[in-house]
This record gives sequence, structure tokens and C-alpha cells, in this order.
Amino acid sequence: MRLLLVEDNERFAALLRRGLAAAGFVIDLLPTAEEAIAALRANRFEIVVLDLGLPDADGLEVLNDMRSRRDATPVLILTARGSLKDRITGLGSGADDYLVKPFALEELVARLRALLRRPGNLLGVALELGDVTLDTSARQVFVGGQPLFFSPREIAVLEHLLRRSGRVVSKGLLESNLYGLSQEIGSNAVEVYVHRLRKRLAEVGASVQIHTLRGVGYLIAEKR
Amino acid sequence: MIRFRSVVSRIVALHIAAIVVASICMPMALYLMLRSAAGHLHERALREQAAEVSRHIRIGPDGRARLSLPTTLSEFYSGAYGRAAFSVLDTQGRVLFTSLPGGQAVAPLHPTGSPVEFFTLHRKGGDVAAATIAEEVGGRILYVQVSEDLAHRDVLIDDIVAQFFPKVGWITGPILLLLLLIDVVIFRRAMQPIVDASSLAEKIGPNRTGLRLPQASMPREVEPLVHAVNQALDRLEEGYLAQREFTADAAHELRTPLAILRTQVDMIDDRELAEALRNDVESMSRLVNQLLEMAELEAFVIGDDEIADLGAVASEIAAYIAPLALARGKTVAVTEPRRPVRVRGNSDALGRAVRNLVENALAHTAPDTSVEIVVDPSGALLVMDHGPGVPVAARDHIFRRFWRGDRRRSGSAGLGLAIVARIAEMHGATVTIGDRPGGGAVFTIRFPTLVSAPPAATAQLEPAA
Repeated sequence: MRLLLVEDNERFAALLRRGLAAAGFVIDLLPTAEEAIAALRANRFEIVVLDLGLPDADGLEVLNDMRSRRDATPVLILTARGSLKDRITGLGSGADDYLVKPFALEELVARLRALLRRPGNLLGVALELGDVTLDTSARQVFVGGQPLFFSPREIAVLEHLLRRSGRVVSKGLLESNLYGLSQEIGSNAVEVYVHRLRKRLAEVGASVQIHTLRGVGYLIAEKR
Repeated sequence: MIRFRSVVSRIVALHIAAIVVASICMPMALYLMLRSAAGHLHERALREQAAEVSRHIRIGPDGRARLSLPTTLSEFYSGAYGRAAFSVLDTQGRVLFTSLPGGQAVAPLHPTGSPVEFFTLHRKGGDVAAATIAEEVGGRILYVQVSEDLAHRDVLIDDIVAQFFPKVGWITGPILLLLLLIDVVIFRRAMQPIVDASSLAEKIGPNRTGLRLPQASMPREVEPLVHAVNQALDRLEEGYLAQREFTADAAHELRTPLAILRTQVDMIDDRELAEALRNDVESMSRLVNQLLEMAELEAFVIGDDEIADLGAVASEIAAYIAPLALARGKTVAVTEPRRPVRVRGNSDALGRAVRNLVENALAHTAPDTSVEIVVDPSGALLVMDHGPGVPVAARDHIFRRFWRGDRRRSGSAGLGLAIVARIAEMHGATVTIGDRPGGGAVFTIRFPTLVSAPPAATAQLEPAA
């Protein structure tokens, strides 16, 4: 998995390189925006980790250059600026995700994997969490290697949860993804699917759990 | 003394005073001038009459004066006509001729014996203008006296004087008023650039520091002031930018080393040591974040038109914080009304306030409990927990910076609630602490006013309930 890391702080870059290499990424490291732009124009990377505070330019310029060339390579922004306004600027200009420094290396790896799992990206075929695997093309769920039968709508719900595992998926988002805007939906349809998924997963002793956060949404995570 | 704040009303007031004075003085002066001109004309007429009379006096060979008036003149002076009279006196004051009955003089000869004398006699029928004029007739000095009844005079000039006020005098008032009106218009036009600049200046605020007042269109008298104001704005903008830059720089300088430290800790093989160090790095990061947040809030300004939906804020923060809560064996829940509860404010800042309240609640509650965020349709946001609650005695100072309920407990920096208080203050909202029935604390952020939703847009978003 070829990853471009744009980070000017040598020590931090070296540490990230080591950590990401351990997670299976192949890393190219560049310290300036100018070099990053040149490299991105000449090569193909699977994913880009971009620091915003670069010595020669704002990291967003690298992103702008990519998006203006219709380069859709996923970009994760690293920023020391924590205010939401900065995040909005980052995401609005075409970043796929961001992390505010300091962050856990584990979190960075998880976010990168999540970005690569997105539809159209490399890891799109199998979604894994704990002992649960979802083959997104065969629409088949396995728990501990054993196939488990679910309805297509239940699998769709599980897929959305797994794609954002460890993070909250709002009920509204599930509803709008399960049904077209025009379709009539029962107010508790999603609740019914989640309830059934949770019950079946518990029956077979899966190592993951679907949490319901009332008024907020659902979150799938490994059992503690 | 009345002080006018407006230059226009000051000018109008002074102008009105000037008009009042002018509209009294000007006709008066004109009247007086006309009257004196009329008086002169009168005197000339009397003098001419006297000369006319004297022309008809002849000194006979016996040295006696003789008067033979033509009929027109004698009729004019006849007693029947009654308007005019004459008498001729010699230097001793003896009456030589007279038109008056009983041989009397028009007036006794004045002792000074000046050659020309005008005077007014006060008679029963009214005032009589009279003159005594010394005339030389045949080498002798004779005093010719003529008089005219003022009550019956028919001279044109008297009419002019008498009719001056009603016919002519009133014109000055309107003319002066028209002048005033023109003045006001001129002045208002001159003031227009200042009025425009004022409405522009109203838009200048901490979040719009780039605006400057237009200098070119200003009247020259005001330009120095405008220039000075613009320079003051430049200095203020610099200050704001410096503050913002400081926060951004400080964030970078502090967070990057922390990120390095954190990543290094993540790569330590000794799990126990790594966990301990990670906790230290995390509490340090938290403190740095709170300090930066506090600094950022000092320079933070809510735009005039910013509107936040409390429900959206609550859901966003709950979703953000849920993984952390679940990791600690707790949950978060949101209760919100179906319609949006909109208040004037910044969603980002309000989100931080809610986040700090929820983090505070998570820090003080036991596992297997939930923290609830409730949005009240009356414009309030409540964060409720099942913790020990806040003692009444502590409620006043809990929002102070670095105040900690339990001194022995480590970890919490005590800035979170100060941030909440600051954000609430920025929004004109209040934060209160109450007890939850059945145990626990309730933090309530109450907003002063609700923003009514634009009718069409929200009607569509409203689910058919």
C-alpha cells in the first residue's frame, strides 16, 4: 500500500514512517509542499497523509492542486489547529479525513484503513471487525469463519456500521442510505434491523457489539 | 441652555434666531428710513409753501408789507378747508398776515430765531406739522409760518409708509425661510458622506476588521478625523491578527512535540509503561487543548448573523464523544424536540461548551451510566448525569479557572467548565447547576432568545409526525 507522507518535522516523520511501516504501508516521505505537489503529479499513491503546517506553503495548497487536477486519491490531513473552522476548510477543500495532533498512531492507522475501505477503494471487498467479516461483493457475513444468514437490508445496515466502525452512524444516515428519498419508511425500521443484527450476533457469540446511543445513532465496536 | 447634538438642528436654530431678528429689524429699519424720507419730503413741502407765500408779499413804498394771494392759494389756506394755515411775522413777533381767525400766529416765534424751524403742534383735532422759515422780502426779514394738519394729509409718501408693513414687510419672512430651507438642503448634502461612513462603520466589528471609512468623499474639515479613525482601526486589526496568530502558532508549537511524544509512546513495547506514559501524554494534551481553547475564545467573536441549531449541536457532540464514552463503559443519549431549536450563536463554540459539559459528566460518573443531553424547545440545553451531583456550596466557584472539586484527584485540569462559562457568556446565555431527581447533576445552558425558523425551509424538513 503506497502512502505519501508530507510532514516537515523530521523526528515526527521518522516516527510515523516507522509506525505506518509496521502497519503494512509503503511510505514515501516528503518535507515540503513543493516536492509533494511535484511527486503527486508524477506518481500514483494509494493514500496521502498531509500535514498542514509546512515550511514553504499551507498544506491545503497541495490538496487544492490535487483536486484541481481531478486527482481523487484519498487525503488525510494532520493539523495542529484544532478549531472546527480549520476542519471545515480542510474537508471543504476536498480532504477525506483529518486528525488533530497529538493523536494515537493506532487511530491514524484505523482512519487510513477506513479511507481505503471506502467504495471504489482498495480494501472495499471485505470489511472486518473482530471475528466478523462482511464480503461486500458476495453480500455474505461470516462470524469466526462460519457464514451467518442475514437479509439484504440487514447486511446493508451492518455494512454501514462496519465502514465506520468505532464511530457513530446516525439513524438518519442509515435511513437515507437504506431507502431512496421517495420511499416510505416505518419510523422504527432501522431499529428493527439493528435489533435483529444484534440478537443474531449475540446468539453466535460474535466478538463485536452494536451499541445504541439514544437520539444519536449506532456504533459497532469490539467487545471490551 | 439648550444644546443641540445635531449640527443641522443647531444651524436651523441659529438660523431661525437670525431670521426672527432680521425679520423684525429689517422692516423696522426700512420703515424708519422711509419715515425719515417722508419727513424730509414734508419739510420740503412746508418750505416750498412758505416760499410760495413769501413770493406774494410785496413791500410797499411806505415800507409796509402787503400780501396778495392768488385765489387758489387763499382757498387752500382758508379756514373752511381747515387743513393748512399760514402766518407771517416780523422779527419782533408781530403778526403781519395770517389765515387763522382772530389774527393769531400759527405758533409763537421761537426765541432763538433760527432761520428754519420745523415743529409739531399738538391740537385737539390732531397733530399739526408746522414750520417757521425766515424769508427775505425786499431787504426785510420776515418769518413765514406754515402748518399742515397731519390727520388729513394726502401725500403719496405717507401711504407708502403706512402700507409698508402689511404689503411689503411680510415678504422678508418667507424669503428668509426659503433661504433657511436651502441652507438645510445644502448642509444635508454636505453631511451625506459622513452619514454613509457611519453606516459603514456600524458594520465594522471584531469579525470584520478589514473595513475602512472612505476618505476621498469626505469634506475636508472631517477628513483628519476619518483618517485618524482609519489608523486606529488599522492598529486594532493588527492586534486581533496578532492574537489569532499567537493562538495558531502556540497550537503548532505545543501540539507537534506532543504528537511526537505520543507516537513514540505508541511504539514502546512495554505495554504497562506505554499505558502509563500514554495517560500522562493524554492529560498533558488535554491541558494544552484547553489552554489553547481558552486563548482562542478570548479572540473569538460571534458573527451577527450566526445561528445555531441546539439539536444539531447536541447530536454532533454526542456522536463525537460516544466512542470515548463507550470505551469507558458509559453511554450518551440525546433527547431533542422534532423542530429545530435555533439560537443566535456559533455552533462550533456551543459544541465545545457541550463537549466540555459531557466530558465533565463522564469524568464524574460510574460505568454503566449514561450522560443525557436534552434540548429544551424553550431555548435551553441540559446535560444530565447520574453522578454524585455538585454540592450547593461549590456551585458558585465551579466555573472558575483551574478550580477542582476534589484536590486529591488528578487528571482534570479544571479549565473545562471555565470554557463553558466563557462560551455561555459570549452568547448572553446562563449556565446553572441543579440536582437531578434520583441523583446526579443537571447543567443547564439557557439562551435569552429563540430565533424563529424561516417558514418555508423548515416546513419541508419537518417530518410528517
